[in-house]
Amino acid sequence: MSQDVTDTTPTEGVKRREFLKVLGATSAAATVVGCSSDKVEKLIPYVVSPDNTVPGVSTYYATTCRECAAGCGLLVETRDGRAIKAEGNPEHPVNHGALCARGQAALQGLYNPDRFRSPMVRQGDKLVATTWDKAIQTLQAKLGEAKSKGTAKEAVFINQHEQGSFPSFLDSWLAGYGMPGAISYDAEAPLGAIAANKAAYSTSWPKLDFQAAKLVVSFGADFLDGWGMGVTTQVDFSEARAKLEGGPRAIYVGARRSLTGLNSDSWIPARPGASAIVAQALLAAVGGKGGASLKQAADAAGVSVASLESLANELKSLKPSLIIAGGNAENDTETALAVAELNKALGNVGITIKPAEGYNTYEGTASHASVREAASRMADGKVAIAFVRGANPAHTLQGAVKFADAFKKVGFKVSFSSYPDETTSLCDLVLPDHHALESWGDAETVKGTLSLQQPTMDPVFDTRQTADVLIAVAKGDPTMASKMPADYRTVIAARLGGNAGLTAALPTGMGKGSALPHPAAKTVSAVTGGGLAKSKGEYFLHVYQSPVLGDGRGANKPWLQELPDPVNKIAWQTVIELHPETATKLNIEEGDHATVTTSTGLVTAPVYLYIGLRPDTVAIQAGRGHNAYGRYADGCGVNPMSLLPVAEDGKSGATLLAGTKAGVTKATGASRLVTTEGSGRQHGRGIARALTVADLMAGKINPEKEEFVGQAKVGFLPGLRSPVANDAQGELGDPKSKDKGQYDPNHWSGVAKRRWAMTIDLARCTGCSACVTACYSENNIPTVGATHQGAQVMPDRTGFGANITRSREMAWIRLERYFEIDREPKDVEWNPDFETRVVPMMCQHCGNAPCEPVCPVYATYHSPDGLNVQVYNRCVGTRYCSNNCPYKVRYFNWFGYGEPNRTQYAFPEPLHWQLNPDVTVRGKGVMEKCSFCVQRIKEAENRASLEKREMQPDEFTTACAQACPSRAIIFGDAADDRWTVAKMVKDERAYHVFEELNTYTAVVYLQKVTHPSASAPAKA
Amino acid sequence: MTAIPQPGAGEPRRPNISSASIQLPAVTTYEQVDNEIIDTLKPTKKWFMALLLAITCLAIGAGSWTYQIHEGLGVAGYNPPVMWGVYIITFVFWVGIGHAGTLISAILYLFRAGFRTTIYRAAEAMTVFAVMTAGLFPIIHIGRPWKFFWLLPYPNWRLLWPQFKSPLVWDVFAILTYLTISTTFLFIGLIPDIAVLRDREKNPTKKAILSALSFGWRNSEAEWRHFVRAYLFLAAFSTPLVLSVHSVVSFDFAMALTPGWHTTIFPPYFVAGAIFSGFAMVWTIIIPIRKWWKLEHYVTLNHLDATAKMVLFTSLVVGLAYMIEFFIAWYGGVEAEQAYFWNRVFGQWWWAAWIMLTCNMILPLSLFSQKLRRNPSWLWILSIFINIGMWFERFVIVVPSLSHEFEPWQWSGYMPTWVDYGILLGSFGWFFMWFLLFIRQLPVFALSEIKEIVPPRMKHGHSHTGGH
Repeated sequence: MSQDVTDTTPTEGVKRREFLKVLGATSAAATVVGCSSDKVEKLIPYVVSPDNTVPGVSTYYATTCRECAAGCGLLVETRDGRAIKAEGNPEHPVNHGALCARGQAALQGLYNPDRFRSPMVRQGDKLVATTWDKAIQTLQAKLGEAKSKGTAKEAVFINQHEQGSFPSFLDSWLAGYGMPGAISYDAEAPLGAIAANKAAYSTSWPKLDFQAAKLVVSFGADFLDGWGMGVTTQVDFSEARAKLEGGPRAIYVGARRSLTGLNSDSWIPARPGASAIVAQALLAAVGGKGGASLKQAADAAGVSVASLESLANELKSLKPSLIIAGGNAENDTETALAVAELNKALGNVGITIKPAEGYNTYEGTASHASVREAASRMADGKVAIAFVRGANPAHTLQGAVKFADAFKKVGFKVSFSSYPDETTSLCDLVLPDHHALESWGDAETVKGTLSLQQPTMDPVFDTRQTADVLIAVAKGDPTMASKMPADYRTVIAARLGGNAGLTAALPTGMGKGSALPHPAAKTVSAVTGGGLAKSKGEYFLHVYQSPVLGDGRGANKPWLQELPDPVNKIAWQTVIELHPETATKLNIEEGDHATVTTSTGLVTAPVYLYIGLRPDTVAIQAGRGHNAYGRYADGCGVNPMSLLPVAEDGKSGATLLAGTKAGVTKATGASRLVTTEGSGRQHGRGIARALTVADLMAGKINPEKEEFVGQAKVGFLPGLRSPVANDAQGELGDPKSKDKGQYDPNHWSGVAKRRWAMTIDLARCTGCSACVTACYSENNIPTVGATHQGAQVMPDRTGFGANITRSREMAWIRLERYFEIDREPKDVEWNPDFETRVVPMMCQHCGNAPCEPVCPVYATYHSPDGLNVQVYNRCVGTRYCSNNCPYKVRYFNWFGYGEPNRTQYAFPEPLHWQLNPDVTVRGKGVMEKCSFCVQRIKEAENRASLEKREMQPDEFTTACAQACPSRAIIFGDAADDRWTVAKMVKDERAYHVFEELNTYTAVVYLQKVTHPSASAPAKA
Repeated sequence: MTAIPQPGAGEPRRPNISSASIQLPAVTTYEQVDNEIIDTLKPTKKWFMALLLAITCLAIGAGSWTYQIHEGLGVAGYNPPVMWGVYIITFVFWVGIGHAGTLISAILYLFRAGFRTTIYRAAEAMTVFAVMTAGLFPIIHIGRPWKFFWLLPYPNWRLLWPQFKSPLVWDVFAILTYLTISTTFLFIGLIPDIAVLRDREKNPTKKAILSALSFGWRNSEAEWRHFVRAYLFLAAFSTPLVLSVHSVVSFDFAMALTPGWHTTIFPPYFVAGAIFSGFAMVWTIIIPIRKWWKLEHYVTLNHLDATAKMVLFTSLVVGLAYMIEFFIAWYGGVEAEQAYFWNRVFGQWWWAAWIMLTCNMILPLSLFSQKLRRNPSWLWILSIFINIGMWFERFVIVVPSLSHEFEPWQWSGYMPTWVDYGILLGSFGWFFMWFLLFIRQLPVFALSEIKEIVPPRMKHGHSHTGGH
């Protein structure tokens, strides 16, 4: 960019005006943000400014998230024509303002540097750029050919599953050419649950009301890991748990403790495939029909009879309860059906499970079997033309399906994908779709509320929305041209009752629309038993989808690759999870390579020791292991789908991810784990504290609290203490002056009267890590990669690599996941009864900050309103502040992550379009840390000041608090009682981390509240 | 023209700082002193080889540093939260080395410890070069070395000052003061010796330079009186600095909250350690010099024996400090502190801790044997062990503490990279380059002070010293 700027510099000497221009241009280039979505070329001010665009002021567009099937409402912040932040729409009934990490990372899909810049066409074994006219003509010709030769009826269109008008529009388009309807494919869809819901409740997805439940039992339904409605569920679950005494006790049944399992109070580690018999036995135990005895179920599931008996008793005593099931493991539809019966028997339907208020999310989702069936037709050479849009079956289907080989046999293959991926790279023609944030669309997750999807900015590249491409293609066919609308926007407008309705819906992103027909998915008979029954091995293989990468579609977004998995804390890497006991038996240490072998393949990866896994099970996360999905995904991790045989659930047609038998052997070599975990237990340091609900009710809140000799005598809330006043440099530091400037509480600005503070309610926090991505997005935090930027490996001579492998991640907020165990995980014996605590840790903005006095250049100091401020420009990088920080929340720029033209550059064009212009991109050699989103504080202050009013309580919040789907983070002015945070800090559960160090932190944690079984003795 | 200084008849003898037991029986005349010691200034093949080696090491260090400045500090082995590593360790190491010089030349001078006479010049030069080396490391270590001057309190219109509460700023003052004083002290002591060189020099250019450097020293009684007063004054002035500099360096750690650093024992412990390592480095340097230039009759076994007693004493002090650290960690009852010390000695860092304990506490116990105290080969070998041990002492202080702090989630490891090693090697190259250049240009043994021990030649050829 700077090159273009210098081109405008006159060669015959520099005049003042030119100098100023260049100066401005250079600063613009330095902050890496220009003035429009086009590449900055000339510095010419707008003659006529576009509507709604004030330079430096954000414009927000309400739209709908398309990162998973749920369809959350978004508010996309745009600055000068570029989308810079995705946040939840507070008015939206699906997500109530929250947004998960994946939704926020939509921006990195929009600005992905590997996106197709234009249509591509195959020449030999390469895809080369072409023009839209030529591409559309090619497709028209091929379609005409298919129509005339009669091969159209054997065509296959694999579309990503989504709600709204598009599926039916697509089907009508396909029908126009005599092609069968599209396969609405979602590798993440919990098909077992959907099938059971349809059978039991006559809806694909009922509303689950956690707040009404006293007991939540999940049979492998990972509702905090993205299962089902994602954010909706998490918001509800956290609200329920925040009721403390009235909150539900949670029990998880499954072979591996997922994030959902870790957030549950008890874990019944049933072996893969055995959930069904457990559910049936419980049904019998509570008085339902049929089923095995609890003893038989316990034997089959490899769990203790006592645990099942206790569960049965709790089901009988704790009513109403909410029992959910249906992942994609063996027999999961059976489980879900039994669970539905159980819910009916316990009278939960209508109270905690509300079919009448169901969601449309999974209406019309095709079974995984139908994609496999299409692949077998392709393999037989029956398919002449195939389309794929937004789906990547070559990566997400079982390796044994050999989708890629089958797909290659198709005569003409068209992809509408915006990114190169494993499926698209095989195609003959690529017609890149707009990103969802550039497109028109709609979704109707909540029946009756139409969620609008509108473009938030001009297209980044020369892409076109698929619907419009289909229209353009159809215009070439005389029989179809007349049926086609002018463009897809008019289709959306029509759903909202014309342009007026559309205009009315634009500001809120929601409107009332006519109900949509949902094209029913074609049912295909599933391949059952076969592969799974024949599989051999000593261990059960448990493959699960990543909570952050999903089925792998997130893998090309560096924020998501860098986000440590909420459970195993691994980033940029696939690990084989083994229980420490199993590992000891196999003579494997953490980091050693192991090979998992099944009848269909083998995978070698480093081992991670996980205590939340059955010793007879080996778990591998799906989502990584790409080979054609762009620079951030390729060569990073392995794809466990290659281990899975062709085995599907007989009732739902779901790919069975868990239940295959596998062998595990030690392989040669070892790797450093790309982990952010230091020690996974607290060593009694009292960082993440918890108490049982019984203790809470008995008032035994803080029994461990003790007074220390020498402890300063201050009120519990240190926020109001102002130890910073003495640092004041009134009247330019004149020692005789009494003027303390803004540090004087009586200063006209009143700034010293404020004390910005934060509370984090651990009873709510699930550890989902959405706050981390929010922070990356808001504060221009660079991703650093495992050993080097991206998946690329540049180990140094010590073999450590250079970035996360040396703990150099830059996350200003991190989720510390502590197991409450008394020894290192490697020495832990099998015991499913362990507690997990998660604590978000960021700069604590200490009132008495250890980092401040040690900085030799005043680069970190205390602001009058209680912020611990980091001045990047002043920092010389002695890193003393970090050494003296007990919380270890300061991060150093080891390389020029923010400097273009460096290999370590974190924002290659156009990723840097996302950068928040309100926040500096830090240079190498300086320290950085959480600023409490000081730019948001200042923005709110300025807004109030411009509007000549006081700042309103809770007028704004930080990025992490804004995103948090658990609503665990509250930010505000603790010195002003009108703010919520001022009330929260006085909560009886409140504590400071390392209070004994007299740091007077501004971040106050509220203890987690656990719900142990009433029969079990309460743990100390 | 001979310029052998001789006391006049009836003049009182100049104060003799050497004790009676430290005599040089094999040195009889001033000419012998001049000839034998000035012999070290002649270039030899070995000297050129050594200089070449030193410059090669320096070039490796300079190259590594250039690479590091270009790429960022990430090329070094830092592994957060271990934010300080080899550079700070090496900084403290060289500051420590820099201690023995002033101790020998100033404190031992004031205490009239005669064994210092023959070794003090080398030790003082070592001090200056060690502090020069140490001074580079804070700059190498910081993230933006081109902004290092922000640590200095220079006047600027924005009235931006350094943070005077920061021990790093105290460091800047301590190091710069120490460098200034020790350089001055070295130079003042050199004046009469430069005059000797000037008088022997034939080359007019060199002669002019030496004349200027010797301030026109004429060997008069008044000059000697002023010289001795100035020397005494500087010695008194430097003495507190010996104690203060390393105390201040220890504040870098002791003022922090970090477990393993937050302790009041650090100042005396660091000073003792510095003297310990400084004497070891003196051995490393002086033992080869006395052997290669055949000056064993100057640095006698008596002298080495005396230094060995100093080393043994400081080793015991340092060892006691280690033990007290462990004791206080246990006795203090702070859990983070206890966990850290356990991890230091029996956990993750046992190897580093045991290298330190072996080299600094156990091996020097051999000096209880007089036979070994008087065995230069053993002393030289021991000096290498002590240098390694003292480097590891700083490693043990810096790295394990930072890697095992309050927050278990942020515990980590540390492993230097080739850039760290390159710069470490470069620091030795830099130090020895200066030292080699020094011994080629200026007498590495103090001519004038040695002559004070040698019986003066009387005006009328009396060979005995009795006088009247």
